[in-house]
Amino acid sequence: MDSNKLLLGVYDNPDTVLEATENLIKGGYDIKDVYTPFAVHGLDRVMGVKRTRLSTAAFVFAMLGIASALSLMIYTSVFDWQMNIGGKPSFHIPTYIPITFELGILFTAFGMVSCFFIVNKMFWGRNTDVIDIRVTDDMFVIAVNIHGQTDVKALENSLISNGAIEVKERIYEI
Amino acid sequence: MGHHTEVQIREEKFIFTGKAKRFTFILMGIGLLLAMLGYFTYHPSEHELVLKRLLANILVDGYFFFIIATCAIVFVAISQLSNAGWYVAVRRVPEAISEFMPYGAAIVLVIVTLCLFFLHGGIYHWMHDGVMETDPTLMKKTWYLNKPFFFIRIVLFPAFWIWSAMMIRKYSRNEDIVGGIVNFDKQFKLSAAFMIVFAFTFSMFVWDIMMSIDAHWYSTIYTIYNFATGWVSAFTLIYLMVWYLRSNGYLNIVTDEHMHDLGKFMFAFSVFWTYMWVAQFLLIWYANIPEEVAYYDHRLWGSYKFYFYFNLVMNFAVPFFFFMKRSFKRNRNIGMFVGTCMLIGHWNDVYLLVMPGAMNLAGQITEHNPTGIIDTPAQGVGFMEIGFLALFAGAFLYVVLNALTKANLYPTKHPYIMESALHDTGI
Repeated sequence: MDSNKLLLGVYDNPDTVLEATENLIKGGYDIKDVYTPFAVHGLDRVMGVKRTRLSTAAFVFAMLGIASALSLMIYTSVFDWQMNIGGKPSFHIPTYIPITFELGILFTAFGMVSCFFIVNKMFWGRNTDVIDIRVTDDMFVIAVNIHGQTDVKALENSLISNGAIEVKERIYEI
Repeated sequence: MGHHTEVQIREEKFIFTGKAKRFTFILMGIGLLLAMLGYFTYHPSEHELVLKRLLANILVDGYFFFIIATCAIVFVAISQLSNAGWYVAVRRVPEAISEFMPYGAAIVLVIVTLCLFFLHGGIYHWMHDGVMETDPTLMKKTWYLNKPFFFIRIVLFPAFWIWSAMMIRKYSRNEDIVGGIVNFDKQFKLSAAFMIVFAFTFSMFVWDIMMSIDAHWYSTIYTIYNFATGWVSAFTLIYLMVWYLRSNGYLNIVTDEHMHDLGKFMFAFSVFWTYMWVAQFLLIWYANIPEEVAYYDHRLWGSYKFYFYFNLVMNFAVPFFFFMKRSFKRNRNIGMFVGTCMLIGHWNDVYLLVMPGAMNLAGQITEHNPTGIIDTPAQGVGFMEIGFLALFAGAFLYVVLNALTKANLYPTKHPYIMESALHDTGI
């Protein structure tokens, strides 16, 4: 496993954390991530986070759902076992709309949730290493990577001068 | 976009320039000219048909713009009730759109009154002399479909909506002067009452104005389908108006984030509209009961076939495939294109609700024709349709743009104005 040395700055205010993140990035530090108990507006832009590709995945899953619904219905009602229901044609698109719609949604929903869990490595029986248990309640943590050449003292000062109420070092296993 | 962006709340006033005024008048003039051209090119022997087409056309446009204006104020009321913050920056636009309500209601009322009392029914088959007394299907509906009760409903319901819209606008404008939370609370209470009453009365209004054109037929999903049309058109119009205002340098606090959210609403409610459309169509198509299928007879297999499919392309396919992508909702040119398509599409939708039933002629009830209705093939979209659409669009734009000048372009002292100005949908 890859392990990483981090310096954590703990903050108690979303505005301070936004300000601090921007200043640290300006100072050239390599921020691993910022952990917050709720979404802080503007933080993603400041950190330069890329847009999620989950919506593309959703589109692919929807297409998969639509394709499987249509192929099942067309195979069963046209090729495998034709039935006469009120004299209606076997192959007629309006009949297929509801199931196509439902399976499109079902595949999208399940696909996106599974995708999200896999990407974030959330499985049964896995103990998540939370960066600091307080981020699940009311604290904000900026985690900065420490490389060989990083001046840890300066970084610590920088975190504190930007409003950190606590600074600590930890090893984080990816 | 960042937290450092300075937000300035300033009192903006819209200036209705001579150029814009001239545009609306030219639109109205061309519309009137085309409508007259359409009217007088009919052969004099077809006077019954041309009269019906004239009435039906005015009803289509009057109703279309009236439900847009009504749904605009419904949007304000719903956002108020749900404590929404993001919409405050664009709020004055739906408020201005709702100022068309009295005119739209008046037009609908005039057409209905003419049909009720002066033209022996006009486009409404059930209002013809003797129809309600002799038609076995319609006889059962007499307790609801009778002239006095009908007239009372048509007058009372829109009057209440217009009054509510007026009061909401008044409170909203008052807020700009006095500030505080008093007007906000008043709007909240009024919106709650308005929404409850509106939900019930709009159902009946739609049955009366639209569904009673085909009085033998009924659909239980018809109201929500009509509401979906008005609702998505209202969003489209707000979206287009905000783009127009922004490209003219107004609305400094409105960003692409707000456009994105309005675009999402357009996208979502286009799908909602399609859902309602399919829900109504599919059950009738599948059950295949003669009296229900009669409604889709001219529309799906008859002479209205083109408009039927055009409806689906413009109102479902175009917004669904264009507005699925995030960057397209934020793009002015693509947004303008999709918005225009949707407005034309929903006008076509109302056209399709009215025309096939309204143009039919009344005949004798016989064994082969139990409803006594003689079908008339589609007259198509001609000079008269385009003319009246242009005439009404011009008048509508004039009223709305004129209404925009009456107040600040966004509420400066609304409690949520800063939340709206800093609205961010994320990356």
